[in-house]
Amino acid sequence: MSFHLGEGSVRIEFDEGLYPKDAIYGAAYVFIDRCWVHLDRAGDRRIQVTLKAKKPGADTQAFAGEFQNELLGQAWRLRIVEENKKLVEAITARALGGAAGPPGLDELLAMDIGEETAFEDPLGIAMSWEEKYKKKGKGEAAKAEGDASADVSGGEKA
Amino acid sequence: MSLSTLFTELGSAAKTPTGLVPFRFREVGGDILLTNFLGDWVFVTKDEFRSLARGELDPGTKLHDKLASKNFLRDGLDQAQAAERIAYKKRFLNWGPNLHIAVVTLRCNETCVYCHASRANMDAVHTDMTPEIGEKVVDLMLQSTSPSVTLEFQGGEPLANFSVMKHVIEYALARNRAYGKGLEFTMVSNLALMDEEKLAYLVDRKVQVCTSIDGPEHLHTKQRILAGGNAHREAVKWIERINKAYIDIGLDPTLYHVEALLTTTREALKYPKEIVDTYVSLGCRAIFLRPIDPFGFAGKTAQIVEYDRAAYHEFYRAAVEHILDLNRRGEQVLERYASIFLTKIVADDDPNFLDIRNPSGSGIGALAYNYDGKIFSSDEGRMMYETGDPAFQIGDVFSSTYRSLMKHETVRALVMASIREAQPDCVNCTYTPYCGVQPEHSYRTQGTIFGRMRESTLCAVHKGIQDFLFDKLRENDPTTVEILRRWTTVRARTHFIHASSAS
Repeated sequence: MSFHLGEGSVRIEFDEGLYPKDAIYGAAYVFIDRCWVHLDRAGDRRIQVTLKAKKPGADTQAFAGEFQNELLGQAWRLRIVEENKKLVEAITARALGGAAGPPGLDELLAMDIGEETAFEDPLGIAMSWEEKYKKKGKGEAAKAEGDASADVSGGEKA
Repeated sequence: MSLSTLFTELGSAAKTPTGLVPFRFREVGGDILLTNFLGDWVFVTKDEFRSLARGELDPGTKLHDKLASKNFLRDGLDQAQAAERIAYKKRFLNWGPNLHIAVVTLRCNETCVYCHASRANMDAVHTDMTPEIGEKVVDLMLQSTSPSVTLEFQGGEPLANFSVMKHVIEYALARNRAYGKGLEFTMVSNLALMDEEKLAYLVDRKVQVCTSIDGPEHLHTKQRILAGGNAHREAVKWIERINKAYIDIGLDPTLYHVEALLTTTREALKYPKEIVDTYVSLGCRAIFLRPIDPFGFAGKTAQIVEYDRAAYHEFYRAAVEHILDLNRRGEQVLERYASIFLTKIVADDDPNFLDIRNPSGSGIGALAYNYDGKIFSSDEGRMMYETGDPAFQIGDVFSSTYRSLMKHETVRALVMASIREAQPDCVNCTYTPYCGVQPEHSYRTQGTIFGRMRESTLCAVHKGIQDFLFDKLRENDPTTVEILRRWTTVRARTHFIHASSAS
């Protein structure tokens, strides 16, 4: 990592092998209220960030230090989130699912049922058992499973 | 030996003994505190920790037995029981929002140096909630998946819009006949607009009353200005009157009394004992030593009311030591922060306190309804809206459905941002099993809902309090430990629950 101080600006270079690009974006974003931010490629696997203060008299050296700390935090967060992704997803799903509960009457009432949609049957409720569960070839079965999951997510959105 | 010195000394010789479950550690007092993912904890001496750091843990030793008895060894861990314990402590995730805060007006008759609510003048009647909006609040509240819900009336000063408050209470009681939820009402008021007629109604409808007391009169009146009156005397007069009304209808005064809340300002830091004594003299059994929030007007008056968190910790320790002394002399009084943390630390439970929960209660534990019908993930989110930032508005009573609120992208983000195991600092913090954050606070103070905990004033407060409590547990004085254990006992106030059956 290296940085270069200019008049009202600071230029910092990072090794992409050490800092993931997403972390650099994340750290850069934190500065957009105070700085004009420019990202560029400085060389092979090297990314250059330029922070130009929006207001005169800003301490650009402090910006550089703050950016480096922020970048470290962002990189670490990415790693932690990656390591705990399943845990976070499980807790979030349980928290939101538990709080939202199943679709209620208000949502069913809010469904758009008009002349054009009244006879749509996305869940296959009106289908006979034979029609719904008839034997399928492998390709058809895979398609049917895909349809079913689409229905579930559609229901969640309703 | 500091921990960093130890690992520098050991260098490449440092290794973890096999068979340990993942644990975190921190120096507290003269010893090392270890905690695991289940919330079990144990103190080891520095010598014992040095052995652990060298990879030495022989069966039959005192250290081995100590760690085995606290679920730090993989071999003896009952996995089914561990899963049950975690599920039990996280059971709030299945409940949905139980706290619904209705700001029935922004009008207020007092001016406070730390006002979080962004009060309006008494003639600003356009900030009164209408009866129609109040009804929609109730309709949404009763959709909650939580079997019990609390409707909390706030302001401004809610008594300034008492007619709408009454209307909402009557409407909620009537509507709840179809839902059969455990329904409770609370009102947060400065009490200066109270009269006998209002009191009779509130007692009859079992509305719990909570007020603000800053401490002794000279401190309270300096910080809370009541035009043409004395804010402290009015509050004290009505606290005593309401407490008497509870006794008159046969309620146990140790359980049923007006609750009071403190906001610790810079000036308050000078009076830890006097503040505790004021609360005890008013019959309060719980004192919540809350530091000042950065919301509302407090953000603007920070230069007057804010302080360094080290000074807060000094205040907290002095006040709680005094509370412990009073307990040793037979007075039953507790500190609320301590009670929340101790319930997690020694009672192996979670009291579902929304701001110290993992994930936090934003949206999925509480909702705040503004006077104009706008809905927020928390009261703090609403306060931010009142000072110009709508980041935490997740809907309005006119167009939002309950499920749309719970599945709102902001709520989703708040849940993810408040999961401690996925945040830098927290992931390695010894207190993670007991802690929680309020992402709105991080956003307000640091500009990010994820927060940078080592720079967070809230984190500093939580760490300092837990350091203090664990140090008390480490000292292991039987009387003190028994008092701390008693603070985790919950006595339900069943009188206040409207438990109507669904018909």
